Amino acid sequence: MNTLKLYIKSIGILLKSHLQYPSSFFMQTLAQLVMEGGEMMVVILIVDRFESLKGWSGGNLYFFFGIMSVSFYLTEMFGRGITGDFPSMIRTGRLDTFLVRPRGVLTQVLCGGTDPRRITCIAVGVAALIMGSNFSNIVWNPLKVLVLVESIAMSCLLILGLFMIEAIFCIFSVKSVELVNAITYGGRSACQYPIDIYPLPLRALFTVIAPFALTMHVPASWILDKPLYGWPSWTAFVTPLSGALVFAVMTVLFHLGIRHYRSTGS
Amino acid sequence: MPYFTVFKMRLRMELQYRGAMIGGIVCQMFFGLILVALYRALYAGKPQSIPIESVATYVWLQQAFFRMMLASDSELVDKIKSGDIAYDMCRPVDMYGFYYARIMAQKLMGSLMRAVPMLIVAFLLPKGWGISLPASFLELISAIPALLLGLLCVCALENITVAFTMKTLDPRGIQGLLNLLMMTLSGNLFPLTLFPESWQKVITFLPYAQLLDAPIRFYTGEYLPNEAFRIYGIQAFWVVILIALGVYMWNANKKRMVVQGG
Repeated sequence: MNTLKLYIKSIGILLKSHLQYPSSFFMQTLAQLVMEGGEMMVVILIVDRFESLKGWSGGNLYFFFGIMSVSFYLTEMFGRGITGDFPSMIRTGRLDTFLVRPRGVLTQVLCGGTDPRRITCIAVGVAALIMGSNFSNIVWNPLKVLVLVESIAMSCLLILGLFMIEAIFCIFSVKSVELVNAITYGGRSACQYPIDIYPLPLRALFTVIAPFALTMHVPASWILDKPLYGWPSWTAFVTPLSGALVFAVMTVLFHLGIRHYRSTGS
Repeated sequence: MPYFTVFKMRLRMELQYRGAMIGGIVCQMFFGLILVALYRALYAGKPQSIPIESVATYVWLQQAFFRMMLASDSELVDKIKSGDIAYDMCRPVDMYGFYYARIMAQKLMGSLMRAVPMLIVAFLLPKGWGISLPASFLELISAIPALLLGLLCVCALENITVAFTMKTLDPRGIQGLLNLLMMTLSGNLFPLTLFPESWQKVITFLPYAQLLDAPIRFYTGEYLPNEAFRIYGIQAFWVVILIALGVYMWNANKKRMVVQGG
C-alpha cells in the first residue's frame, strides 16, 4: 500500500513537471491525438472499402482496435519508466542511484517516468470501444464489464512484461535492442486486428510467446458473442491471466538481471 | 563545389552504421509481413480492382524506403538546441544548401542500404506475399527519376521541419505533427491506392504523395510511362515550392536567431 501511495505521489509530481511547459505539452498531446487518430482512420478506411474481415464486422474491428489502444497507451502512460526511459537510465547511470535506496528497483523505475501526453491516444481508444460496442449491438451485463476490465488490466501487464524483455537485454548490452520492438510495437500493429485472420506462424507467435490473443482476443470475442475458435465461455475468464504470468516471469528475470548489473560508470 | 563534398562525406559516414541497420531491417520486414498478411485476409473477403500483388509490392517498397522519410539530422537539432549553430553561420557556404546536401546523403544512403537487402528477401517470398517484378522495363525506368524527385522533395520537407525547430527550439510538438501527417498522406500507414477514389484525386496532388507514392505507382503500372512528364512536372513543382519556402524560412530565422549560450 505504501508503495502504491509513493507511486501515485510521484506520478503527481511528474505531471506537474510536464505542465511547466504548457505550450510544448499541448502541442505534443495534440500530435499524439493526430497519430492515434491516423491509426483509427486506417481502420475506418479499411471498413469503408472491405466492409468485413473474415467474418468480423466493421463494429467488431473498432472494438478490437479500441481494446488495443486503451491497453497499450495506458501501459505507456503509467509504465513510461520501463517502456521508454529505461535505456537512458542505464546509459547515464541514473539506475545506480536507485540501487542504494530502500525501495525495489522496479518500483523506482516505474515511479521515475510517466507520459501524460498519451491521454489523447487513450481517448481515441475509448471512442473506438464505444463505436465498436454500438455498431456490434453488444448487450452489456456486469459479467461482460468484468471481462473487459480484466482483459485491459491483464493486457497492460503483458505489454509491460514484453517491454521488460528489452529492459533486461539493455542491462547486459547497454544499447537499446531494436529487435524487441518487433513483438511490442509489432504486436500492437498486428493484434489490433483479431488474431484468426493471420497465418499460423504469426498466430503462434502472438498466442504462445507474446500472448496478445489470450489477453485480448479471447475475452473480446466472447464479449462480442463470437467466441474465438468456438472456445467455451470460461476461457474468456481464464486466458487473460497469461498476461499476469508473463509479467511475473519477467519481474523475476529482471531482478536476476539487476544482480548482474554493472554500471556504465558515467 | 562544397555542397557536393558535404554530400560525399555524409554518404561515407552513413555507410559506417551497418550494425544498427540489421536490427532495423528485421523489424521493418516483420512489419511488412504483418501488413501483407492483413491485406491478404481483407482481399480474401472482398477482392478489389487493384490486384493483391500490387498492394504487397506497395507495402514492401514503402517499408524498404522507410528510412528516406523518417531520418533526421540529429546533429543539427543538437546544434540548434546548444547554440553551436552560430559557428555554422560563420562558414562561407549557404547554410540551407549545406544541410540540404547532408540530409540528402543521409536519406539516400540510409534507405539504399536498407532497401537492397530487404527487397532481395521480398523478391524471394512466394507470389502474392512478396514484391512482384515491375510492370514493364519502361515502367521501371520511369520510376527512377520519380524516386529522385521524391528524394529532393522529402529533403525540402525535412528542412522546413528544421526551420520550425529553429523557432521553437523543441524538436517535438509541431515536428511530430508534420511527420505524422507525412506517414499518413505518403501511403506508409495505408496504401494511397486503397484510399477512396475521390480522396485519391486530391491526395496525389499533395507534396507527401510525391515522395514514394508516385515512384511506386510507376513501378506497379498504375501510372503509365506516357504520363511520366505530367507526374514529373507535379513533383518538380513541389520541389521548387518547398525549397523556396524552406530557404525563405531559414533566412527569416537567421535574422532573429537566438543563440542558446553556455
